[in-house]
Amino acid sequence: MVTVEEPRKRLHPLSPLLHGAKALVVIVVALSWQTLRQVGLGWFALMVLVLVLGAIVMSVVSWAYTGYHVVGRELRIYEGLLWRRTRAIPLERLQAVEVVRPLLAQLSGLAELRLEVVGGGKTEAPLAYLSVADAVALRDRLLALAGSSAAVPPVAAPSPVPPGLHAVANRDLVVSQLLTPNALTLPIGAAFVVAQFAFEPSWSFIGVASTVTALAGVLLQPVRRVLNDWNFRLSRDESALRLRAGLTETRAQTVPVDRVQGVTATWPLLWRGQGWLRLTLDVAGVAGQDGGNAQTDRLLPVGTAPVAETIVGAVLPGVSLAGLTFSPPPPRTRWFHPLARPVLGVALTERVIASREGLVTRTVMMVPYARIQSVRVVQGPLQRLLGVATVYADTARGPSAAARDRDLAEAYELAAELARRGREARLATPDRAPGAGPAGPVAPAQWRPTAESPF
Amino acid sequence: MPVSPLEPWPDTVRWQPVSRDLVWVELIRWGAGFAIVLAPLAVLWAVFPIWPLGLAFGVVLALAVWRFWSIVRAVRAWGYAERDHDLLVRHGLVVRRLSIVPYARMQFVVVSAGPLERLFDLATVQLHTAAAASDARVPGLRPAEASRLRDRLTALGQDRAEGL
Repeated sequence: MVTVEEPRKRLHPLSPLLHGAKALVVIVVALSWQTLRQVGLGWFALMVLVLVLGAIVMSVVSWAYTGYHVVGRELRIYEGLLWRRTRAIPLERLQAVEVVRPLLAQLSGLAELRLEVVGGGKTEAPLAYLSVADAVALRDRLLALAGSSAAVPPVAAPSPVPPGLHAVANRDLVVSQLLTPNALTLPIGAAFVVAQFAFEPSWSFIGVASTVTALAGVLLQPVRRVLNDWNFRLSRDESALRLRAGLTETRAQTVPVDRVQGVTATWPLLWRGQGWLRLTLDVAGVAGQDGGNAQTDRLLPVGTAPVAETIVGAVLPGVSLAGLTFSPPPPRTRWFHPLARPVLGVALTERVIASREGLVTRTVMMVPYARIQSVRVVQGPLQRLLGVATVYADTARGPSAAARDRDLAEAYELAAELARRGREARLATPDRAPGAGPAGPVAPAQWRPTAESPF
Repeated sequence: MPVSPLEPWPDTVRWQPVSRDLVWVELIRWGAGFAIVLAPLAVLWAVFPIWPLGLAFGVVLALAVWRFWSIVRAVRAWGYAERDHDLLVRHGLVVRRLSIVPYARMQFVVVSAGPLERLFDLATVQLHTAAAASDARVPGLRPAEASRLRDRLTALGQDRAEGL
């Protein structure tokens, strides 16, 4: 079968303007108040204008030399006038796709498409910008191609709107972010500023400005969370999770379910009154983004236990947060964790290993056996005195699920058991083998009846 | 049942030791490191004969002696085993570590040999997975054994698919 290479496509013609508008902000900040005071408003405006025009011209040139097309099961992106760069992204390695629409892009009906692949420290291949229809069509096409060696119907019928799993009420989101240590410092800071004014009227402008700046810095994180997670919607179709959120910048993220490396549940201390918790999703390749700020991997920004159960059940079938029974480390390790020992623990279920940690901020990390990259047993000198060791189950995303301070014999048993279950899970649900083409023979292992899979 | 931290599963796993020549490599490496610290300390102490410098010199010297004394045992603690589905690597005296890395999870294998290692005809094989935390490094292999291990790992990794 001869396939005609499809023509290269261009980004949307409005993209240089949007890049120029983005550059405007950067330029104004770079020139700073200092320059404005020195040269006066007229000259300042002129400087900004010249620089912005320059940025736009550069963007137009780069736009003219940027193109992309799909070849076989690869997305190829061409860019650069002087330094040519061609990137080929094998789609079977695709971890997640995100359609991002910053404020300006929302006004002009454009969107940016981001692909997450493993190994890239940053998001590889952001296509900025496409029209929304193009971006969505390309996303669906890439995902269909990425999944076509797995058990996905070959012709991706225009999928009906998937049933919504959960929507987070904005009121809960705001309250939850007010109940963070960062937000709680606000009244203290404000009281400090007022007190300074009351008792020491000579306090300089610089002092006030720096205090306000410091406060703003502290508040930035909760405010960004609220903006990022505004109108949070989560849904799931048969093969992928779809997350959508954002106020000024909307993001629609699509994560194939078999790309989920793990799920972490966190119960912050200040949320205990409401019985709230937070779920985060571990997807390989998303880790390095935003300086590891974990902005884009929220599975549930805030929610009650029953809601979290539903979502965990949808992402990791057959797993229930309440159904996990954790076994704590042996009593002789109480010298290591005088208070936290009963909280620590590890639980093995049919599909995942779960580890619980944290007295104040409790976290439970769940890693499917099929996603374990390696197992380690580590024993420090103090642990040797007590005859205990820590077992780690490493995932492709940074953190490892850790079973701390287990009895040595039990630790080795656990490690052997994890290695065995990991192998069985891999055989039961084979990875998308690169060798097997879309029409390749189905591995016999795929037909093995998997009792644990409720699908 | 007593379990030795260095010998888990003694009846099912046959551990391969690394070459004893690694002792020399490690001795020279640590010796150079300690010399860099000790020489300036000795000179300083000779010029300014005050007791803190002497104490520092003594402490570093004691550390060096302890380290040299334990290198033989540390090298003996290194070991690896190829099982049907995974590679086991153990090492460490103070902090003991055992890694189990399935062949199917392998992303790439690195064989390296620095000048010191080449002097003693040794090489290091390191297996990388997608997880940054996995550590499966086997130093002190003869080049023939290193390339055999590398070829076996890549061959096994290939038929067991993609690693994520």
